[in-house]
Amino acid sequence: MSKAASMPSAVRRPLSFERGSLALFASLAVLIAGLVSLDTGLTGVGLFILGGLLGAMFLLFQYGFASVWRHALVRGEVMGLAAHFLLIGLCAIVFIPASSLGLSAAGTVAPVTISLFVGAFIFGLGMQLANGCGSGVLYSFGSGSGRMMVALPFFIIGSVLGSFLLPSALGWGSAGPVAIAGGLSDGLRTIVNLAFISVAGFGFYLLGRHRGQQLSKRLVLACLIIAALCWAVFVLSGHPWGVTFGFTLWGAKLAQDIGIPVENFTFWQWPGPARALSHSLLSDISSLMNIGMVLGAAMVAAGSGQLSRQNWPSGQQLVAAAVGGVLMGIGARLSFGCNIGAFLGGIASGSLHGWIWFVVAMTGSWAGIQIRPRFGLEK
Amino acid sequence: MILSPKKIYLMLIVLGAILMTFDHLTSNALTDVVSPSGLGNACAPCGAPCVDNQSK
Repeated sequence: MSKAASMPSAVRRPLSFERGSLALFASLAVLIAGLVSLDTGLTGVGLFILGGLLGAMFLLFQYGFASVWRHALVRGEVMGLAAHFLLIGLCAIVFIPASSLGLSAAGTVAPVTISLFVGAFIFGLGMQLANGCGSGVLYSFGSGSGRMMVALPFFIIGSVLGSFLLPSALGWGSAGPVAIAGGLSDGLRTIVNLAFISVAGFGFYLLGRHRGQQLSKRLVLACLIIAALCWAVFVLSGHPWGVTFGFTLWGAKLAQDIGIPVENFTFWQWPGPARALSHSLLSDISSLMNIGMVLGAAMVAAGSGQLSRQNWPSGQQLVAAAVGGVLMGIGARLSFGCNIGAFLGGIASGSLHGWIWFVVAMTGSWAGIQIRPRFGLEK
Repeated sequence: MILSPKKIYLMLIVLGAILMTFDHLTSNALTDVVSPSGLGNACAPCGAPCVDNQSK
C-alpha cells in the first residue's frame, strides 16, 4: 500500500480539493485570458494579469483600508494610515507628471460636488459595516469569505442604484474639478502635491512613533509592490486603477437581463457608460481587472488551503454586510469611486476631491464604527 | 447553514464565469480595452460629465 493510500481520507481530501479549486481557477484564468486576447490583445491580457497580481498581493499582505481606518479611529493605531500615504506618494510620483514623463496617461481629477460629500460619508459608514472597502470586498470574496459573498452582490445592487441617483445628485451643486496647484508646471505640481502627501504621511508616522508604534517592513514592502503594480496599470490603461465602475456595469447588465430598462436612465446614456453597457464586459478595464483580482486572490487562497478554513459569520453580521454593501455601492457612485479610485487615485493625481473623500469617508467610518455593535461586530 | 462557504463560493465562481462568457459571446466586442472616462465630456472615472457651478 502506498503512503498516500494509507492516509486517512479525512486528511487527504482537503488537500486534493484545494488542488481541484486551484485547477478550476487557473482554467478560468486561461479561458478569460484567451477570450480577452482575441479582442483586445496584449493590453487586455496585461491588465487582467495585473488585476490578478493585485488580488494576490492584497491577500498575501492582508493590505486593506477598512480595518486600518477603524484601528486608527478606535485604538489610535495610525501606522497603517502612514502606509496608505506612502503608497499614494509613490503613485503620485508617476501620476502627476505623466505627460512630462512621456506617458500617454493622465490622473483622475474629479469634480468637487455636494454628492462627493454625501457619497463619501455613506461609503465610509458602509465600509465599516461590511468590514471591507471596494478592493477589500473583492479580494476577500476571492479568498472565499462568507461575509463578502453577501457584501459583493449588495455592493453591486447599491452601485446600480447609485448610477440612477448620480445625474440628479450632480445638480445639488458642484465647484467643478479642482487640481491642486493646477496652474503650475507638472514638476511644481508634483512637488506641491508630494509636500501635502508627505505632511499627512509623516504626520501619521510621527504620531505613531510618539505612541510607541512601528511601521512594519512587511507593510512597506506591500506598499512598494502595490505601487509598482499601480504604475503598470496606469501606463497600460492610461489612468489610475479603479474598482467600482465594474460593479455598476455588472449590475446594470444583470438588471437588463431581467427586463429592467437600464439603458433609459440618464447615467447609462452618457457616452462612456453607454458604450460599456453595449459591449462585452471584458472590454471594460475595471471589470477585467476586478475579475483578475478575484481569480488572483482565489488562487492564493486555494494554494494556501484558505478556502476550506472559511466559516459563515452570524446572521446579524451577514445583514451588516448586506447593508454595508448597498451603502458602499451608492456611496461609490455619488463620490466618484472608493478607496482605490477616489482616495488613492484622486490624491495621487493631485485632485482636491481625493482629499475631501478621505476626510469625509473617515467621518463616515467613525459613524459606522458606532453602529457596528448593533450587528454583533466589535468596535 | 447547510452548505459550507466553500461550496457556495465555488458555485458563485462558476455561475459568474458562465454569465461573463455568455455576455462576452453575445455582446459587441471592442478592439481595445476602454474606460467610461474615455468618451464625451467625462469628468470622473465613471464617465459623469463635467458640471461646473451647477445647483438646482
